[in-house]
Order: sequence, then structure tokens, then C-alpha cells
Amino acid sequence: MKVVGARLPRYDGVGHVTGRTTYVDDVRVPGMLHAAALRSVHHNARITRLDTGAAAAMAGVHAVVTHADVPLLVYGHLSGAGIPGDEPLLAKDHVRYRGQPIALVAADTVDIARAACAAIEVDYEELPALFDVRLGFDGDAPVINDTFGNWYDQYEGNLDVRQIRKGDIDAAMDAADLIVSGVYRTQSVEQVPLETQVCVAIPEPDGRLTIHTCTQAMYFSLGVVCSHLQLPMSEVKMVGGTVGGGFGGKVDTASDTLTALAAQKSGQPVKWRWTREEEMLASGNRGPWHMEIIDAVTSDGWILGRKMLTIHDAGAYGRFSVYGLTKHSFHHTGAYSIPNLHFDGYVVFTNKIPTTAMRGYGVTGLSTAIEVHAERVAKELGMDPYEFRLKNANRVNDTSPNRIAYEDPSTVEVLQSLAAATGVELGDGLRAMTREQRSGDMLPDHLVAQIGSGGGH
Amino acid sequence: MELTVNSVARTVQSPPLTSLLTVLREELDITSPKAGCESGGCGACTVLVDGQPRRSCLTAVCAVDGAEVTTVEGLGTPEDLSRVQQAFIHHYAAQCGFCTDGLIVAATAYVGGGGSDDTGDIGEALAGHYCRCTGYVKILEAVAAVARGDTFDTASTASSANNTYVTIAGAES
Repeated sequence: MKVVGARLPRYDGVGHVTGRTTYVDDVRVPGMLHAAALRSVHHNARITRLDTGAAAAMAGVHAVVTHADVPLLVYGHLSGAGIPGDEPLLAKDHVRYRGQPIALVAADTVDIARAACAAIEVDYEELPALFDVRLGFDGDAPVINDTFGNWYDQYEGNLDVRQIRKGDIDAAMDAADLIVSGVYRTQSVEQVPLETQVCVAIPEPDGRLTIHTCTQAMYFSLGVVCSHLQLPMSEVKMVGGTVGGGFGGKVDTASDTLTALAAQKSGQPVKWRWTREEEMLASGNRGPWHMEIIDAVTSDGWILGRKMLTIHDAGAYGRFSVYGLTKHSFHHTGAYSIPNLHFDGYVVFTNKIPTTAMRGYGVTGLSTAIEVHAERVAKELGMDPYEFRLKNANRVNDTSPNRIAYEDPSTVEVLQSLAAATGVELGDGLRAMTREQRSGDMLPDHLVAQIGSGGGH
Repeated sequence: MELTVNSVARTVQSPPLTSLLTVLREELDITSPKAGCESGGCGACTVLVDGQPRRSCLTAVCAVDGAEVTTVEGLGTPEDLSRVQQAFIHHYAAQCGFCTDGLIVAATAYVGGGGSDDTGDIGEALAGHYCRCTGYVKILEAVAAVARGDTFDTASTASSANNTYVTIAGAES
């Protein structure tokens, strides 16, 4: 046991403090071109004309990449998992969020590339945009997503909703002493890595591509690049591992595919580094979540049941949102055991930046909602919020919404540590509580049937 | 234009209004100053100009003609790290590392100017720097340790002053 408990220095520490760590922007290749993107200035518009002739003819411009250059234009980040693709790599005849890329120019300098972008002629027919997920279900709402409509509609069993049904929610509501409801809405958050999205793609003499990537998900990005470019994976070498901050924002393959296309088309190495403004306005962020919770509780502080409706604002395209919502549904009881559940969740599209991972995808905003709601329920009951939480805290062999038996739930210890760290005195009974399987007073009738057995994973 | 960069005399060919950041990175191939925002907001491009921390992204190279410019490459090498560099390793103050070079440069100026180990003063001196990974605590601890005159062993790391974990009953400490 040389490692466990030891204070080990970071293997990359010396490189980081001496300026020798090579980030993608630090890669130097002879003859490297610089790229800039033309992005939509509208939230929702038809493209009626796209003319790159003047831009392509400019001195110093080596390639202008548009939708016509992409071997497989539409591919989904979850296509590999059987979820249909819905997002074109470059907009063809419709832009669905402000900042959506329409063309990429590779030129001798980034200034020339930007000037060429400005010289691309685009005519738009602006359309009404939708920004509020709650309006996406209205009959007269603009249709946002060509593939799915206004909400994702291809869950298992041909459902248009992610559902969880467990126990008997109606019986729980009938048996409740008190029903507490709340609506919680979290906002979008940009991950703000200090290193913006960046890629260097190099066409090698043997025809293969080398891609220096800032991705957080190397093999995933390899798959996305090879799918759009219709190349076997043996033709693409991805070089990564040094990420100047990601926080989920570099799980999407944001820059690799287009940079690779520009390198292919120009026959020269190309670097594409997003500006800070692009990073803030056009890179995938944590999406907003609209969450409605209705809890059936008893006067002595047990949560008998939870009814929940979640509407996830995916932005204009699906990307990982279906995964995020599914994870959200599995976690919708938080750190607490609730035996009777009725969960409906929707992935709804709006004319905003497609959303993606950020530190606990699908769960972080949910935890906020659950904990604020727990505080409210305890207050309504006139009960100590620690006692309310500890009573309902997950124990060994309690089961999650998706019926996994918890082998090592840490809720009890976390709450006890939290109380100790903040100077809250817990009563003897709460201090003595452990994660061990429920019994005695901690195993009321309503929790008996939900107990599972370990090894559910 | 002439610059002395990390003790080496360099002649600069870039146009006079080119940013010092671009000159360092693209003309002189010194890549430790980072283009985090290129608008003076993040601090990742910070270098020392005649000993003072400056945003190289907002500094036109003609404005520092004849100056002495120091980047983190000029503060120490892997074989001979400066005390601030050692402290950043020892205290886990570098995570993704993208902001680290600018912070080390600014911290070097702070400590070199006789800055104390007061974390409020350190925080003020480093206020122009964003770090998205560490939550700043380890950075403040590293700089305070240098100001206190601590010694560092880069083969191990320091115990954090904030390591006040509650021992869980039954778990080994």
C-alpha cells in the first residue's frame, strides 16, 4: 500500500509550473493555417442563400468548408447508442440557434480567416424563435427540431416521455397527512474553461489525419470525427490528454471535426481556437431544468411518495440530453428512499445553444430542487430538517428509483459530518444512526416492500 | 523593437501594435502565457514587465520596447525550480495548469515585493486571475507558504490547513 493514503505529487506538476505542458494551442506545426467560423446571427431562420465565392477567392484563404463538404452531415452524439442523429455539423438550409456554425474558413492568419467569414454572403428568412420550454408543448409553438419535433419522442416502448413508475403513487397520496408541492427552475451555466475550445488537425503524408484535441472524451471524439468524415478509425490519430479545463464542456466534440475537414480540404495543418466570446455564446453549456415536485408525507416525517415532472431544456439539438434526463430520472429521489414514485421527464427543444454535460450531468440542478424541497417539507411539518433527512436517508439495500439496491449509501454519514462541521447538535438517536439496513423504528411498513438485496449493479 | 525576454536579448519584427502576448507566443515561441480571454479578464497571459505583473494580451509590444520581460520559463527549470514553483507543486495549487503560469508570475512579484502570508493580501494581489479548478484555497496556501519561508519537498505534497475532515465512526483515520 504505497499509494493509498500517501501524499503523491501530480505527475504533471513540474510541467504545469514551468510552462512546459503542451496544450493544444501550444502545438507548433510548420505551415499551419488558422481557422475562423461563420456563425448564425439569428436564433431561428431559414438560409435562403449561401455564397462563399468571394471569401474563397480572397488572398490567403486556403479552404472554405460548408455543409456540402461534410461526408455525413447529420450525426448525433448518441448515435452510437442508437439514438438518431439530429444535428448537422454545419447548418445547411436552417439555423436553429444563434452561434450555430455555417462555414469554417482556413487562412494564413486568423485575421484573414475572419475577414473571409465576413465576406461570405448569407441571406436569412428569420422565423419566430422559442426560448421557454414550457411553451414547447403549445399547438402553435414553432417547430424546433426536424427529427424529433419539439420534444424527444423515441424512448423505449415508443414513448415520448422518460417514465418511472414504482410502487403505488395514488395510495401514497391518499395515505399522506400532508402534500407539499414546489416548482424549481435552474438556469443555464457556461462551464468557462480557461482554455477555449481548440484543435490542431494535420494531414499526414500517408493520407492519415493527426488531430490534437482538447476533448475530455478521446475515443468518443474519435468516433464522432470518423463518423462525420466517413473514415475508418485507423485513418485518424487523436492526440490529447492535456485539457485546459473542461468541466463537462469538452465532452461534446466541438472543434475537432470541422478542423479536420478544413485540414483535408486545404491539405495543410489547421488550428481552430475559439474566442472567449464564442466559448461563452456558442459552446454547449449546462442546460436549464424545470422541475415540479409533489411529495406525500406523514406528520411524523416519512416521505411516502413523490410525483415529479421534469422538463429539460435541451437547446436546439439532442446531443447528450436524453442521457442526461435518464440519469436525472434515476436520481430523482436524491439521497432519500421514497417507495412510491411517478416520474415523467421530457427533453424539450428550444432555439438556444445545445446543452451538454457539466459536473454531475442531469443531477446538479436536481439536487438543488430536492434539497430545497426537503427543507420546505421539514418546515411545513415543524420538524428538524436533519431529523427529516436522516429518517428518509438511503440505507443499505434501500432501492433507487430504477430499483438498484444501494450497497454503500453514504447519506447518513454525510449528514452527520455536515452537522458536525457546521456546529449543529444532533440528538443521540441521530448521532448513533448508521447506514446499516433498516430495522425497528427505521423500517416502517411503507418501506418494507422496497428493500432489495445487494449487488444490484 | 528590442526586448530582453527571460534574460535573452530578442529583436521583435511584429508590427508595433501587436499584443505582447502574440509576440511572445507566435513570434518568439514562448508559450507559457495563455490566451484565455484576450481581453484582460482572466490573467492567464500575465508576464512580468520590468518586474511588475502585466496583462500581455492588453499590452502593445511597442509600449514595452526596451523592457525586461519575464515569463514562467524564466523563473525556474524542472531541475532548478523557484520557490513559488515548488510551492505550487507541494500544495497542489496547479490542477489543469492553464492559469498556473500567470498565477506563478504574479505570485513571484508579490512575494518578491515583500508580500506577507496574509491570505487577504495574497487574494488582493492575485485578484485579477481566474482559476476554474482549484477553488483558490490551495493557491493561497502555496503563496502563503512561500511568504512564510516554508521549505518544500516536490516529491511529496503538503497537508492542507483546511483538511478538517470529520472522522466517520468505524472508518480508519
